[in-house]
Amino acid sequence: MNYDEEIDIASEVDLVVNAYPVQDDGLDEELLAADQTTQQYQEVLIPEVVKNFIMLFHRSVLENNVYELQQIYEHSFNKLTEKFYLNESWPEPEAISPLVNDDQVFLTLYRELFYRHIYSRLTPTMEHRFHSYENYCDLFNYILNSEGPVALELPNQWLWDIIDEFIYQFQSFCNYRNRIKNKTPEELALLRDNSQIWSCYSVLNVLYSLIQKSRITEQLLVSKNGGDMVEAAGEYGSRPLYKMLGYFSIVGLLRVHCLLGDFTLALKMMENIELNKKQALFARVTACHVTTYYYVGFAYMMMRRYADAIKAFSHILTFINRTKQYHSRSYQHDQINKKGDQMYALLAMCVTLCPTRLDENIHSQLKEKYADQSTKLSKADEAMPIFEELFLFACPKFISPNGPNLDEDPEVLNSMTVFEPVQHYTKIFLAEVRNSILLPTLRSYLKLYTTMGNAKLASFLEVEPEQLRTLLMMAKIRSRQIKWVEGTLLEGEYQGTSDLDFCLREDMIHVSEAKVGRRYGDWFLRNINKFQDILGGLELTSKA
Amino acid sequence: MARSTPSTRPEVIQSLIDGVDRYNPDNVSILEEYLATQCANKECDAMANLAILKLYQFNAHLTNDQVVNNILVKALTTLPEPDFNLCLYLLNEQMVAEEPVVHLVALQDLIEQARFAEFWRVYEGDDIYKELTSEVVGFEDSIRANIANAVAMTFQSIETENLGSYLHLKGQALSDFVKAQGWSEANGVVSIPVNKDNEAKTTVLTENIKFEQLTKIIGHSNDA
Repeated sequence: MNYDEEIDIASEVDLVVNAYPVQDDGLDEELLAADQTTQQYQEVLIPEVVKNFIMLFHRSVLENNVYELQQIYEHSFNKLTEKFYLNESWPEPEAISPLVNDDQVFLTLYRELFYRHIYSRLTPTMEHRFHSYENYCDLFNYILNSEGPVALELPNQWLWDIIDEFIYQFQSFCNYRNRIKNKTPEELALLRDNSQIWSCYSVLNVLYSLIQKSRITEQLLVSKNGGDMVEAAGEYGSRPLYKMLGYFSIVGLLRVHCLLGDFTLALKMMENIELNKKQALFARVTACHVTTYYYVGFAYMMMRRYADAIKAFSHILTFINRTKQYHSRSYQHDQINKKGDQMYALLAMCVTLCPTRLDENIHSQLKEKYADQSTKLSKADEAMPIFEELFLFACPKFISPNGPNLDEDPEVLNSMTVFEPVQHYTKIFLAEVRNSILLPTLRSYLKLYTTMGNAKLASFLEVEPEQLRTLLMMAKIRSRQIKWVEGTLLEGEYQGTSDLDFCLREDMIHVSEAKVGRRYGDWFLRNINKFQDILGGLELTSKA
Repeated sequence: MARSTPSTRPEVIQSLIDGVDRYNPDNVSILEEYLATQCANKECDAMANLAILKLYQFNAHLTNDQVVNNILVKALTTLPEPDFNLCLYLLNEQMVAEEPVVHLVALQDLIEQARFAEFWRVYEGDDIYKELTSEVVGFEDSIRANIANAVAMTFQSIETENLGSYLHLKGQALSDFVKAQGWSEANGVVSIPVNKDNEAKTTVLTENIKFEQLTKIIGHSNDA
């Protein structure tokens, strides 16, 4: 059905509804009678079209009408938000409860959207943060601990957003908890007494439980190595709700571990997911697809596997470019574009640290977005501020797993310097980059010669000959990286990543370059096929 | 080289770091004992040691400074692997700004920048470094082996004097080391056999046509 139209028609009525006390229709009267007058005030404020929307929403959840839910979730909800709730929250769950027969499962789902909307459009209070956490607990409890698998079905997009938002709110809470300066003693006491809320262990617990319940690891192994999928999936895992939540939780863990600075563990989470497989599950939801590659690429970059990072970023940026016209209509369009811009920034750094020929499209986009920065990155005296700027812009919002010690005296707390995870990680990363800051200049000189004396190059670079020798050794070491060949994401082989190589015979530098030969294969294949088609065509006409 | 799983990793450690047990604070002692074994036997299992730091990250009260120190020293011996920084990312800001980490980071910088002669000068110049690295058996030898590796990647021949300063070896000890590497010395120059890293050969990358690309053409030949 076309719900959008219904909204438009009803919108004119709403103005009237808002301006005057409502003459409740029969249904509402009954419900209100059951719910007494406390609700009445809020009830009046809910526009008719929103009421209708919520009832349709409720019905679709009851009927497991995934198609309708997708419309509701991706379009109607956002349309109504723009119309009525740009600067205020959606109706309180208690206020809509009479409309949905006090259906607790539906109310939990509604609350998920209710709080998410507050997080994205308004400023959540501590109360909101606590309640939203409790609501997620209710939701996951219902899914994980009901008797047998629940019958609920939700669109994949929503399932992904649930996991994504859960982690986002966790991250947001960690940063909120860190800022103790402007909190009242009451708020600090609340934080102290509720330390389990949004704790690392509770978040990890949810994600791991979803993985275990869905038997997604077993399912992925079967799809990789063959076997009985039904048996592997089991009672829970064969339902899309569990399967997808389990799968998205793996990607969720990839993200959580990156946020906590554990890049090895982050990639280890992905060990059963084949990134290169066509039609991998993560590709079903664009936001998940983009998130996966962003964090995989980022983790690789932090592990100094720049070649692998470049590959991951190039892959997903190409995908974003190609599908621009589809996701430009999506409600997540802005987010995807922002992630894209961040990845171009990361790419600019990776390419400086590991010179690589990029795909032409990606290369021209990179130049368009970061031409100025890219040039500066390769200049020893200008690079550091640019590395810092790009890293701060493009890194995930790191978190510290434990907030400040709230048992301390409030006075002491106030005088403590706040631990800023992002600053901390940036510092370590920059220290590492600083080591290789002279390498691009060295490289540009080496490119000009096939042999040259150590002393001569040292004088070009204005360093001592001994310093140049160490620089050359460092350049050599840095040009070899572990690069993925097959197997899990953490595996790989040492490979040269540079098209420029050199060696030293005492004080003489010998430079060599790897050139790319002409490619004939594609041309011949195309023309052989064309020829065959013509031949086939001729045969057909001669028969006819 | 799948360096993430050393062959010496016991089964119990493997299953521990593969599952959710890695988050259980009760298991920290098993991992710490395993680290002690690594220190004594010149082995290194970065993945397992990161699991210790992860437990410390979540449960700050468990943190054992000596263990952190040993993990970082171990990570120094695996440079230019990224282990050292991957460990730093799991420590909090305060720990990174304090001893012993500051001293160890100073050593890290010198090795990362391939300033090997200076590394030994600094290392020998203050007793603190030998104290910090004392529990890691064969620390100096491991560092020396990695330096030798870096030299062999870069040089086909090198003045003996330079090599000696990088390895912090002289006279007979240096000659023995050179011999053990399979290198040879004559007239004050050490020659290093050509290997895939120091050959610096100009290559032309030619394309590889995969069998799958040809399936359609082979299909055609069947029709005929």
